[in-house]
Amino acid sequence: MKLNYFFLTILMLLCLWIPFDKANALEVDTVQTEAEVHTNSASLVSKVAPGEFLPLSVKLLNFGSQNRVDVDVSYEILNKKGERVHFIKETVAVETTASFVKTIQIPFDVSPGEYTAKTYISYQGQLVPAVSSFPFKVERKIAGFFQSDFIYYLGFTLFISILTLIFGHTLMKHYRKNRLSPIDYSDIPHDLRIFYEILSDTIMEMRERVGDDAISIATKIDGLKIDKDTGRVLELSSSPAKIIATLVSEYEKLLGKKVSFSLRPEKKDL
Amino acid sequence: MKYTILIVEDEESLRGAIVDVLRFKNFIPLEAKNGKEGVEIALSKHPDLILLDLVMPVMDGMTAFKKIREDAWGAKVPVIILTNLSATNEQLVDDMVTHKPMHYLIKSDWKIHDVMYKIEEVLKIT
Repeated sequence: MKLNYFFLTILMLLCLWIPFDKANALEVDTVQTEAEVHTNSASLVSKVAPGEFLPLSVKLLNFGSQNRVDVDVSYEILNKKGERVHFIKETVAVETTASFVKTIQIPFDVSPGEYTAKTYISYQGQLVPAVSSFPFKVERKIAGFFQSDFIYYLGFTLFISILTLIFGHTLMKHYRKNRLSPIDYSDIPHDLRIFYEILSDTIMEMRERVGDDAISIATKIDGLKIDKDTGRVLELSSSPAKIIATLVSEYEKLLGKKVSFSLRPEKKDL
Repeated sequence: MKYTILIVEDEESLRGAIVDVLRFKNFIPLEAKNGKEGVEIALSKHPDLILLDLVMPVMDGMTAFKKIREDAWGAKVPVIILTNLSATNEQLVDDMVTHKPMHYLIKSDWKIHDVMYKIEEVLKIT
């Protein structure tokens, strides 16, 4: 069959698993008269793992015939040396335009490296060759990530983990230090201060052992008023010794064992 | 410098164990099996620290503690109470606040090595 007018464009998009319309686009224009082939490739680099499918968007158009033309479309994968590592051929019937997506499975045994996907067509009465090709990379995957990406993600994840650990540790240290730092009661009269200190330190130590239950128990002791957030003893309105004895007794009930306590070394008043 | 530690404890096995560890830690241990002996040894030997039980025969630990505190030297000697008596009695708490031991430790809650750490802490060895 003689074709008076011939114009062929093959658009190949390498999609991989990203949306097709966002993938690499390659365009091949074959001009009828001069039988030239123009290839435009986007600058993005495509990657695929051995055994995965390489999707190609193929567009054949402007055959200029009213009748169907059987077109043989050949796909081959060439390594860097130009050796063919994979080949597929199929026949499609085209009137003026045909668009389809072809997926080529990359063989499992191909070595990682740079490859070229070459597509060419042949049909009866063909005047000029029409060829399109684009480069892509084959790279192994680790845990679903390409090797190079995996190293990047691993490094990034490690960095974030270390950062989180350091930050968390510092935060916890600061938090514990704040919670465990003895509260200063130098504003309390000397004869009462020791009771405030024993109560405060006992509440703090119990808070460290049993959590905020220590605070809620302390708030229920008659004559004892504390700050619910810090555990600071605010006021003692009955016998301080009785308050300590009752608090220790309540904590012993909570713990199921006896409670020790310490007294702070005495500081001389200025 | 070797520190002298007086252990006032009626329970022989515990007293012996503490003495052994104190020796191992290079302290000089002194032993008393009741409060009366404890007061006598304390006031004559002037140890650097007293480890005192409360419930003991002949003289209880609190009475011994008060007698030691009445002495000019004894008023300042650091005392660690090591007892099984719970501090849930108002009078006991009052006595503690008055006579100021460094620590009130419940025996069942403390291992000997932790008690040693407290001794070293009080003597500022650590």
